[in-house]
Amino acid sequence: MRRMTRREVLGSGLGGFMAIPWLFRPNAWAEPDDLTDQRRKQEMNGETNPDARTEQTGVTDAEIVLGVSAAFSGPSRGLGIELYRGANAYFEHVNRAGGIQGRKVVLKTYDDGYQPNPAVTNTMTLVQQDQVFALFGYVGTPTVTRVLPMLKKFQGKNAYLFFPFTGAQPQREPPYGDFAFNLRASYRQETAGLVDNFVSIGNKRIAVFYQADAYGRSGWAGVRLAMSRYGLQIAGEATYRRGAKFSGSMRRQVEILKQSNPSAVICIGSYAACAAFLRDAVDLGLEVPIANLSFVGSENLLKLITEGRDDSRRYTNLLVNSQVVPSYEDTSIPAVKQYREMMDRYDPQPPSHVLKEDYTSFSYSFVSLEGFLNAKLMVEILRRLGDQPDRNKLEDAVFTISDFDIGIDERVSFGPDRRQGLQQVYYTVVESGRFVTLKSWEGRFAS
Amino acid sequence: MKIQKLFQKTLVGIFFLFAVISLSTSALCIYTVDTHLSAEYESNSRGIAKTIADSSVDILLNRDLSALQSLIDQFIEIQGISYIYITSEHGEFLAHTFVPGIPTEIAQSDHSSRATVERNLPGMGDFVEVSSPILAGVAGAVHIGMDTGLIALKIQRAVGQQVYLISSIFIIGVFSAIWLVRLAAKPIDSVIAYAARLARERNKDSSDDTLLARDDEVGQLARLFLYFSMVMDFDKARGTPPGENT
Repeated sequence: MRRMTRREVLGSGLGGFMAIPWLFRPNAWAEPDDLTDQRRKQEMNGETNPDARTEQTGVTDAEIVLGVSAAFSGPSRGLGIELYRGANAYFEHVNRAGGIQGRKVVLKTYDDGYQPNPAVTNTMTLVQQDQVFALFGYVGTPTVTRVLPMLKKFQGKNAYLFFPFTGAQPQREPPYGDFAFNLRASYRQETAGLVDNFVSIGNKRIAVFYQADAYGRSGWAGVRLAMSRYGLQIAGEATYRRGAKFSGSMRRQVEILKQSNPSAVICIGSYAACAAFLRDAVDLGLEVPIANLSFVGSENLLKLITEGRDDSRRYTNLLVNSQVVPSYEDTSIPAVKQYREMMDRYDPQPPSHVLKEDYTSFSYSFVSLEGFLNAKLMVEILRRLGDQPDRNKLEDAVFTISDFDIGIDERVSFGPDRRQGLQQVYYTVVESGRFVTLKSWEGRFAS
Repeated sequence: MKIQKLFQKTLVGIFFLFAVISLSTSALCIYTVDTHLSAEYESNSRGIAKTIADSSVDILLNRDLSALQSLIDQFIEIQGISYIYITSEHGEFLAHTFVPGIPTEIAQSDHSSRATVERNLPGMGDFVEVSSPILAGVAGAVHIGMDTGLIALKIQRAVGQQVYLISSIFIIGVFSAIWLVRLAAKPIDSVIAYAARLARERNKDSSDDTLLARDDEVGQLARLFLYFSMVMDFDKARGTPPGENT
């Protein structure tokens, strides 16, 4: 037998010492109940490889469990909360009406605070420990881009991500596009639309204010690509760190952009930072159209910029936000009418177990309408799986969605080469303290 | 605490000795830590830059730039790395980690150079920047800036700890020396007092049994003083000058 060196002896001793607390934790030697149950079921079916058997995962006779990791805390919590509320309004409606084939749709929810590492940990928990049927309603590009490799790793389990609240490209393209399904239009489509419209009214010097991460870069790349089609380049750029608060200053960023003498600014950020930028831009005399993408959370931004101000029109006059769902004010749209009815009837609340800070919900918002539409399509997909929902058949079920009327002015289709349901981008401006559909770019912004 | 005059010079000597030790070891420490850390940082930066460059090829050619940004965002979490930027073969910035914007010094610099550059960016600090080509340079380059302020901080910490240790040893040494000096000086004081008493009270019984019983140099000195005193008394009685009877 080989003699251990002094270092090996010390190392083993230290390792053993550090393992003591783990050994004495409660249930250290027990397997999680759901894991044990799962394995028992697999053994009854004569299966030994856990990856080989994925049907029944996340499904019982009473429930279909979907896993959510989103921002329920921090400066962007409004996005996670509103998306959840909108989705829950529809799930509540379905559950009260008897569910899907008698099964209620249940959301297993975790908070990631819009930070990548918690999002990865939550996903691991949802897939491995909670064994949810599918992942649903994630929020953010920096979070989702980090989660995608994990979905590829779990491809044997067919763990798909449905309708994340991000328009970034990574979940729309190889190598990870096969593991996610998107409903909303992409940032590329949003930024291209904004650039096209600005250029059409003669605003060709477009600067970009963006979040210094994958989300910001995705939007920046979209603007760059759209401008290159006109032979233009981004006039100037300034960044901010993810998690910036409205109380923080964006004056330095405004000064940087002012040096490039822009005729319009496109912001790729979340509501707290973008509201701070808008405030400081107007205060420092950068009076050019300022556009935001749908991710910003329009109502949260508007609330921050107008709250306690008598001259709020000064701050919102040149504001234009792109949206990926129609205006929730337009009740002539069947899905909007249904959304408003269900939001009023069920008044969905944020998940209390992950809520750490106070939050005042909006009656209606673009984000919750998007969540509502996400849930509506998710329910349709689950229905198409029949009375024995099977994760292995999920992708095929999604591909049966063709020319599906979700209740808005655009029909939804999916296919092996089409993993994004909607393509349309809408533009909104503030009128009488609320966002309404922009009728004319020329009339609103042409100088 | 009164320091004996005899040992004051010794204490001054000790103080200077400690000061020389402290200064020389600090200088050596600064040199060693600076040299090693700078070399290690540069080597690590080069390794990281190469890793990013190798990983970027596929992303640059096949994927969206957000994937590239996501990649560099993971590396920026490593201690010491202050900024990362990726430029195209034409020098265009494709992804970076600067907030609130790309510093003018970097925006205007030559991105084709692969040499290590020392940069001083106003408001940001001092940096060592290394580069690594992507696809032999035809797809651009990755640039990584390491904060030399962190090296200075580590040096400061190391020197601070060293000075703290030496100062502690010095203070303990000084107090120990004073205590030892006092311990050594006490019997001498007794002998001096005894000699003075002998001179003053020659006709009385001035013997100090405790002192005379000591078998060290102090005892011998005391006995010698007593002997001289007795000899002087004897000579005086005979009327001869002291010492001539021997």
